[in-house]
Parts: sequence; structure tokens; C-alpha cells
Amino acid sequence: MVVTTAFLLTTVFAGCSKSTNDPKPSTPKNSNVSTDEKPADVWQLGSSDLEFSAYAHYGWLDLPAKMEDVPFWKYLKENKKVNIKTIAAQGNHSQLMTTMMADDDLPDMIFGNRYDPDIMRLYEAGKLVALDDYMEKYPNLKKWLDTKSADMLRFPDGKLYQFPNWYTSRPNGSAGYVVNKKIYKELGSPTLETMDQLYDYLVKVKEKYGEEVIPYEADRAVDGQGVGLIYTGFKENAYYRSLNGNTLAVVDEANNKLASLFTDPAFHESQKFVSKLYREKLISQDMFTITDRGPVQEKLMSGRVAVFGSSDPMPYASAAHLALSKEDPEAGYFMIWPFHKAGLDKNKIYPGGYDLLGWNVNVITTAAKDPEKIFAFLDYITGPEGMVIQYYGPEGGNWNGLDENEQPILTDQYNAKEVSEIQAANNPVMIAGNTAYIDPAKMKFELAKPVEERNWLARYQESVTWKTHIDQTALATHLTPDPGTELADTSVNVLDIFLQTLSASSTAKSDEEVDKILDQAEKDAQALGYNELLEWRTERWLENKKMLGQ
Amino acid sequence: MSQVTAKEHYSSIPPKRRSVNEKSFFQRLWKQMDIQLMVWPGVLLIFIFAYIPMYGVLTGFMDYNIFTGANIFENPWVGFKHFEDFFNAPQFWTIMRNTIVISLLKLLVGFPAPILLAMMLNEVRHRNFKRVIQSITYLPYFMSWVIVGSIVMSLLSTENGSVNMLLKGIGAIDESINFLSMKDYFWAILVSTNVWKDIGFNSIIFMAAIAGVNPSLYEAAEIDGASRFKQMYLITIPTIMPIIIIFMILAMGSLLSAGFEDILILAQNPSLRPVSDVIDTYVYRVGLQNQRYDFGVAVGLFRAVVSVMLLTIANYLARRTGNSLW
Repeated sequence: MVVTTAFLLTTVFAGCSKSTNDPKPSTPKNSNVSTDEKPADVWQLGSSDLEFSAYAHYGWLDLPAKMEDVPFWKYLKENKKVNIKTIAAQGNHSQLMTTMMADDDLPDMIFGNRYDPDIMRLYEAGKLVALDDYMEKYPNLKKWLDTKSADMLRFPDGKLYQFPNWYTSRPNGSAGYVVNKKIYKELGSPTLETMDQLYDYLVKVKEKYGEEVIPYEADRAVDGQGVGLIYTGFKENAYYRSLNGNTLAVVDEANNKLASLFTDPAFHESQKFVSKLYREKLISQDMFTITDRGPVQEKLMSGRVAVFGSSDPMPYASAAHLALSKEDPEAGYFMIWPFHKAGLDKNKIYPGGYDLLGWNVNVITTAAKDPEKIFAFLDYITGPEGMVIQYYGPEGGNWNGLDENEQPILTDQYNAKEVSEIQAANNPVMIAGNTAYIDPAKMKFELAKPVEERNWLARYQESVTWKTHIDQTALATHLTPDPGTELADTSVNVLDIFLQTLSASSTAKSDEEVDKILDQAEKDAQALGYNELLEWRTERWLENKKMLGQ
Repeated sequence: MSQVTAKEHYSSIPPKRRSVNEKSFFQRLWKQMDIQLMVWPGVLLIFIFAYIPMYGVLTGFMDYNIFTGANIFENPWVGFKHFEDFFNAPQFWTIMRNTIVISLLKLLVGFPAPILLAMMLNEVRHRNFKRVIQSITYLPYFMSWVIVGSIVMSLLSTENGSVNMLLKGIGAIDESINFLSMKDYFWAILVSTNVWKDIGFNSIIFMAAIAGVNPSLYEAAEIDGASRFKQMYLITIPTIMPIIIIFMILAMGSLLSAGFEDILILAQNPSLRPVSDVIDTYVYRVGLQNQRYDFGVAVGLFRAVVSVMLLTIANYLARRTGNSLW
């Protein structure tokens, strides 16, 4: 036992030192391993060719068609002998996956959404490769992924099949409210903290600008987003995740169980608030009909939005901020501390949540000839060297070597512009990101820059969003019933009711009608078996909490 | 006399005649080779793409597993379970009502519209004007629903939507109406968009039928002093009636297909579901998006059976007028 542990530690150590000091594969391997152990046959990325097929199981994202399309992949091809053949869904991912399953023609690696039932289907059909043995053998995932998180990722047979992306041990995310700077100043920079102040502000916006400006723009209201944020402002410790189709329940602290969303007084109250905004034309009237984000972005870009609420305002608001502030330094957008109902503690309001396990996962299928090598590849990406190259380019350019905390050491040639270009180019396809490692590294660079050069979002991550995101791992994992079961049908039917209700109550004609709609939704949902679903989810949730030690 | 001999001659050689006919069947086939060549690819296509996949309806009676496919030996048979699931689904009655109402509305408005347009265009004397109108009316048919949907959405938008701006401009309303999120307007928007999109193209067939009417009939009527309306009513309509009836029968057969893309695109707002959810959108949501293929097949089969019944009834009724399909 001791020998094994020692052996493992040395492998870990050898792996780390290799990836930190010398990216070349020909470093002496495990020279200090005791002789009675077999030398570890750890495969070094780059020591021989690696070719495999990969596929991103998303309708809105395809992996790059050519390795040369993305700087990091180009680097992998040129320096690590990696050749990835990608399969593109081209917007039709469900259909493509179905075809691949039916033909038993699976890609070697699939990058997908952790909650996607297809991953579970593949597991149930025995099409996935368990990663536990490899994880013990290779250094990085083992080091950076928390044991509890690894347990949470495991499937019912107790094995790990999913290599997580953007797993973390600290808050992340960027949900919140963004305010138009120019309009804010023109209205005398009022205090914006409570929901009432938000309401007064929106009224003033409408008075002054009329139909030219949308007082409150709710991003993707059909999914809950811009409207769901408001819900979290009406209750301390409320979870935005409560509105997610795979959870759809609120935490009942007193009884330690999950309860119906439709009976939550805070939800009634927030929907009354939203419907009031709707009735008084203070919120985008099209929010449920025009679901395309194009028009929203156009409004933001032209400065015609006073307050923008979104689960991820970053891509839209930062682009709009950049465009507006270029012309007029006084214009643009800034992020504020989330609104709360007067009387509540503003430090207990969480418009967003984060998941220790990240969001996407990579799975290796039985179609892979050499799954271990693919794992080694993922393990390399998730380690310091892989992460730093993705963010700052190859070693010797913007950085050289790692410090004692394994953080990259900047060189004199550090070029901020080049770095942000590298990041932007790599951003869409980071498949095994390690938030716990890269966030402090990013922040280190950001804080070294003068304020005006800082990344728009990074400015608010430290001061706002990281403090206003709550750990929702327990409420998010394993709460989706297996496809094909009765509970899965219930879940789909209840989600249908929720989506209808959200829209109907947000646009209700009076407060009484909001109550009526939500009461009716509760009745309909109960008739469909919502309660059994909640009981089942409560069990899962309690198990999760136990596993996470929460 | 010669007639008698002929009769005797025929009756004396019945077996020989059959053999001659048998031979002549293949000879006839050979003679029609050019026409046969045109028919067989079509028959083959129908066989391959419509008949062979029919074994897939078995999926509706089993618990389908995507990895084994429609394997009749491995998957468990569940009888009418999926059908029962559908009939007992809470949305069942809403879906059926919406399907039938939307279909009937489309039939009621969308069916006579192209006939009227064809008859109106027929009365236009100016050739160039007629052509321009024809082109304009059938152009939308070639646009995909995604495009038509975005046009309708931006027309009806509350923010800078032309319709709202127009209504406000003429003082009909004070505040924008949110057309696409109000249940009351949905059917009207859906049906009128459909008519707008399809009217021109569908009118082509009726224009062709009207062009085939014997001009001497009109001339005779004119001499008898019939007005233009009388001519339309007494000559045009009766002569194109067979075509109208055949299209009517076909339309009856698709009564349970109330449309799919148009509804999916125009009814983005989930609160419209009570009026917009039809069989096709439901199957798409439950059967395809949630990958319950067996359930989807069962619902599809149910619809097909009802459609065949409707088609047969419509044909039976039409047979009395002498214009049936078969």
C-alpha cells in the first residue's frame, strides 16, 4: 500500500515537473521509481502520434474543422503530434447523435452537456470507457478535481466516465444586471439597490426617453433568464437554478426538502413585480415572442437599453460597452450589485449559481482504439501547461516558466493585445478547462493592468459576480430522471407547464391574475405527478449534499 | 351472313384466344417500353421509401431502444401502451381541438382563396399586369418558414413593428398591441400568413383548369346576355368543379396535419401553447426532442389511420357527384 502510494506520488510529481519545466516528451521517465514496481507505462502526449475523432454534442457549437483554425489546436498538432478529426453537428446535434447511436458509429470522444440524457443513454448501453484507472495514473485531473466532485460525477455503477470541463472549487459565473452609464448619469445617478428603486428608475427612464429606450431588457425570458434573476432578488438564498427544467424546485430549509416552485411566495411576488413592469411597459414587450438574441444585441449596441438582466451578460454587454465607449468615453455599461427586495440582506442575494463540476463533460467511447491516450490528452489540457498555453500562447513568448504556485511568470515581451487575441481565438473550444487553476492566473494579469485596459467583465468578477453566485451543485446534479421512465415524462410535462406559466404570469393583467395563474399551474402540475417528482428529487438532493459534505 | 361466320369463328377458338392475349400482354408491355420506363422508377421509389420503412410502425408497439433499433426479437412488446399514453396525456384534448380547428380554418379560408384568385386573374385582360400579379403572389411560396416567420414577427413587433406603427398613426390604438403573445389573435395570424404564403402557388393549378374551359361556352353565354358574374358562376365554376372536388378530397385526408414549421416558428411564446399545440408540434417535442421515438411513431400511426378514414369518407361522398379519386 505504502509502496503504491509512493509510486503514485512520484508519477504525479514526475508528471508535474515535466509539464512545468519541459514541454518536450523525451524527459527521463520515472527514474526514481523503486525497482520492485513495474515502470509505469504512462504515455506522454507528443511521444507518439495521436489521432482520434471528436464531436461536440451541441446545436450551437462545432469543434474546429481544421486543427489550424484555433491557435491552441494548431500548437497541439505542431508540437504534440495530435491530430483530431472533428465531426460537426451543424446545428442538428440530436439527429446526428441518434444516427451515430443507431449505426453504432460513435466518435472516439464526445464533448457535451453534462445534463444531456444522451450521455446517460451511452452509459446505459455500455458505450463509454471508465476513466478511474487513467485518473490514478495521470497527474492533473487527480490533482485539480476535488474528490467529492469526482464522486458526484460518477455514474450509478460507481465509476467515473466523464472528464469535466471548467470544474472549480470557487465561485464563477457572471449573471447579473448591467446598467447603461449615459442614461444613469442623465437621470442623476440615483441609488440602485432595491427592487423599488429599480422600479422608480425604470419609470423615470420611460418618462424621459419614451419609446426610444427599453427600460428593462430581459435576456432570453423564454428560458427564465432575465425574468428569473428578478425572482432571486425576492428571497434570501434563493437559487436561480430553481427555475431550471431539470430542477424546478425550491429549497424548503425548514423541512429539509425540495418544494414546489408554484407555491413559493417569493415566486408569486417576483412574478407580480415582473407583470407590473410589463403592464406599465417598463420591460421589453417582446421578451417572450422574439427569442432571437440578434435584436437584443442590436438594442444594447445602440445604447437603447437602460437596464439589462441576463444569466450571462458578458458577451453582449461587453461588446456593446466596447463599441459605445469607443465613441464616447462617458457611454457604455456597468454592472451593479444585484437588486433585492427592501428589507432583505443584499449579501444573501444570488442571481446566479456555479457548479463545482462545471457544465460540459468529455466522454471517451468504446469506439476509441486507445482511450488511455485520449485521456492523457485531456489530462494535459487541464493541467497548468495546457491551460497557460491556451490563455497566453506557447512558452517563451508572453510567459516563461511557472512560479512556486504553478502560475505562469510573465516575460518582458508580454503583449496584452496579443494575449486577448489568443484568448478570443481559443475561447469557443476549450474542452477541458480548469477554472480553479486559470481564474487566479487570469486575475493576476488583469489586476496588473491599468483600470481602463482591464477586461470589462474581470472588473466586476472580483467586486460583484464572484460574491453573488451560490454553489448549486447539489441542486443540479443527478436530478434528471432517466429517459423513458414515468418520472421523465412528468418532468417534461411539468416543465411545459412552467414555461407556459412563466410567460403567462409575466404578462398577466393584474396581480390577482398572477396568483390565479400560479395556483392553477400548481393544480395542473400536481395532477401530473409533480409531487412524486419532487420527492424523488429531494432524495437525490439529500444524497448530493451528503456526498459534498454540505 | 358474314356476321354469323365471324361469331362462329370466335366462339370456336376460345382457348387459343387466351394464349394469344397472354402473349400480347407482354407484347403490349414491350410496346409501351418508353412509358413503362417512366413509371417504374416512381413505383420503385415509392416501394423503397414508403413501403419498406413501414415495418417501422412496429416501433409504436414496442419499447424502442436506439442501440438495438427496431429489433423485433430484442425489444419488449408493449401492445397499445404508447397509444394509451397519448390518449391519456393531459394535453390530448387541447391538441386534438387545436389540430382540428386550425386545419378547418386553413381549409375554410385557405382552400377557396386560390380559386378566387385564379378566377379574378382570369378576368384580367391586361397580360403584363396579370403576370406581375402572378409573380408577386407566388413568390412567398418559395421562401422558407424561417424567413416568413421573421418577417411576420418584425411586422407585428411591439417595438418598431410596422403594423403597430400604422395602427397608432391612424389613431386606431394608443398603445402597441403584442399580437404574437395573445391567444385571441394566434389563429388569425397563422391562417392569414399561410394564405399569403401559398395562395399564388396554389392558384396555378386552378388557372390551368380555367384555361382549359372551352371559350365558345363564354361566347355563347355572352350572346345570350349573361353578365361576367353569371359567366363565372354558371360556366367557370361548374367546369373546374372536378378539380376542386379532387383537391378537396386530398385536403380532407390531411385534416389532422395542421402544419408544423409555421406553428413552431410563429408560436415561440410558450403561453400560446393552449391554442398552438397541435399533433405535429407535440410529437416533435415529446417524440423527437425527448427521444421517445416509440411514442412518436404511435401518435403518427394514429394520425395516419384517421387520415385514411377521412380520405375514404370524403371519397365516398364525392363519388356521388361522379368526381371521386377512385
